Amino acid sequence: MTASGDTLIEARDLVKDYPMGESVYHALRGVSLTVRRGEFIAIMGPSGSGKSTLLHLIGCLDTPTSGEYVLAGSPVHTLAPDQLAELRNKEIGFVFQTFFLLPRANAAENVELPLIYAKIPPAQRHHMAMEALEFLGLQTHAAHRPNQLSGGQRQQIAIARALVNKPSLILADEPTGNLDSKTSENIMGLLVRLNQMGNTLILVTHEPDIAAYAPRQVRIRDGLIVSDELVGASGKGGGS
Amino acid sequence: MSAATRKEQLYGFWGSVAELFRIALRAIMGSKMRSFLTTLGIIIGVLAVVAVVSILQGVFQSFLGQFEALGANTLFIRPNYEMFSDRREGVRRLKLTYDDAQAVAQQVPDVRAIAPMLFRSDSIAFRSRHDTTTIVGTTEAYGPISDVNMETGRFLGPMDVDSRRKVCVIGHDILDKLALPDQCLGTEIQIGRDTYTVIGVVEKLGGAFGESDDDRIYVPLTTAIQQYGNDAANQLILLVQVRDAAHMDSAVERISNVLRRQHGLKFGQTDDFRTFTQEEVLKQIKTFTNVSTLIVVAIVGITLVVGGIGIMNIMLVSVTERTREIGIRMAVGAKRIHVLYQFLIESVTLSTLGGVIGLGAGWGVSLLTVWILRKTVSPTFPAAYVPLWVILLSLGFAALTGAVFGVYPAVKASRLDPIEALRYE
Repeated sequence: MTASGDTLIEARDLVKDYPMGESVYHALRGVSLTVRRGEFIAIMGPSGSGKSTLLHLIGCLDTPTSGEYVLAGSPVHTLAPDQLAELRNKEIGFVFQTFFLLPRANAAENVELPLIYAKIPPAQRHHMAMEALEFLGLQTHAAHRPNQLSGGQRQQIAIARALVNKPSLILADEPTGNLDSKTSENIMGLLVRLNQMGNTLILVTHEPDIAAYAPRQVRIRDGLIVSDELVGASGKGGGS
Repeated sequence: MSAATRKEQLYGFWGSVAELFRIALRAIMGSKMRSFLTTLGIIIGVLAVVAVVSILQGVFQSFLGQFEALGANTLFIRPNYEMFSDRREGVRRLKLTYDDAQAVAQQVPDVRAIAPMLFRSDSIAFRSRHDTTTIVGTTEAYGPISDVNMETGRFLGPMDVDSRRKVCVIGHDILDKLALPDQCLGTEIQIGRDTYTVIGVVEKLGGAFGESDDDRIYVPLTTAIQQYGNDAANQLILLVQVRDAAHMDSAVERISNVLRRQHGLKFGQTDDFRTFTQEEVLKQIKTFTNVSTLIVVAIVGITLVVGGIGIMNIMLVSVTERTREIGIRMAVGAKRIHVLYQFLIESVTLSTLGGVIGLGAGWGVSLLTVWILRKTVSPTFPAAYVPLWVILLSLGFAALTGAVFGVYPAVKASRLDPIEALRYE
């Protein structure tokens, strides 16, 4: 049980530099962010703003050049690649713009993927995957491969995969970027529902109407947070 | 709690291996044609080795079989002609007699049976046909020791020997040599100046290599001595069967002691007879086999290196193609070691499958080759034979090749940066 109000993410002065030949590219110039469990945040910004880099840091796919990042009590900035992998496995569920499903595996097997690396025995794994699929009403598609499914269904499978290991944080990177508006609405509705069930959600997007689903919006530009505001309860998208 | 933890840990290892094996099989079966072509080098290497070895081994086995027919529990004793630089002097002065055989049989309990043999080359005749062959004067003991199988009639019996009957048992080739009638039992043939009645025909033995035991006539030892005289009787060869092959060495020693006493040899004098065990002959054949094995192993090594390079090549391509997949796996929690093992197990599985296919195909090719050789070269060409070690060696080498040449691509995959991998188009 996670009490609402607990701190899940504590990021302080995150800096990320990339060497670009002779010079250095400063992707993040000192970003601080605190996220409590149960929050739903949209991180917005144009391309090149550093939002992808921030997403990678929050997602434990990379470590900062300097600064501190604590996720669910783990000092991420001090961890080695394999420890990061373990943390991703336990604490984070990813939802990507292009779904990132394994083409040769069927829906259930795709959902099971994180559980393989969590060393959960096959029978239990399958059971958990089916539960997640049932939750999304996709149990009848368990044996289908990604190429037999629609875009919306694929993203739902990816969401099931993100949920299956009961992570502390669901990280969605432009989850509707490859979907039509009707399907986008469904997916966003699903994400809102997940948040209402207590899941912490961070959404990265450049589309204001998608960001509008989130009660807290963080704007980022040129590697710095330019605004971090609560805009009220999550509701239907559009101008707010 | 702790039991559950242990179970989990146990699953952790074997479960992971089984998991990775499943993933590997899916990847391999996902593109069958390509997998086949990838492992083709291994397939051909194993195929060639298995085909060559199985045919050679077949020949070796039939060769060995001819010696082993006498059994590991038999030995020969003959006069030690090598004692004299002039063989004729040896023939004049050395003796190995029926009495010696009797003494060995009575005084060495390890000896189960002993068959003295008198060899002579002599002319034979039936009606207008004349020829020469080897005459073997022996006793009824020869049959069981040599495991003689009769085509028709019977082998020499004790009565034939005791009563010096003029009867003979003929080898299969004699039927042709003398153009004997189909029902030849009871037929009278000439051996030297005497007439013998045929009482049996020995089953064809074959013998792929020249001189054959089929070109022989067996007669009672007593009859032979009567015909060829005491000089011949003093130059016997003794065929001895011991009770237990495991005690061959001690039996040989006891037999030597008895013969030394029989011959009145003093301490320090060399034996005037020599013993030959099957083991010694077999050892020589096996040395030859071992050398040829070594050559084969070297060939396997070379072909599999070539096959391994093919595997490495395709695995590298595969790692590049599946960069995205690696990124996805890493994002959801795969550690470097998981990715490393995934690709390593895939290449080992691929090369081992190639080994299995090569094994089957090689076996097929050798069967076909033997079939063709039997139709063209010799109908008695020995059957192909695949010893277990060839199977284990081929599969072992194939798997090893996959492991060795799979390491580099697997390490490359495991070192990928998850972000880069996910971005890969």
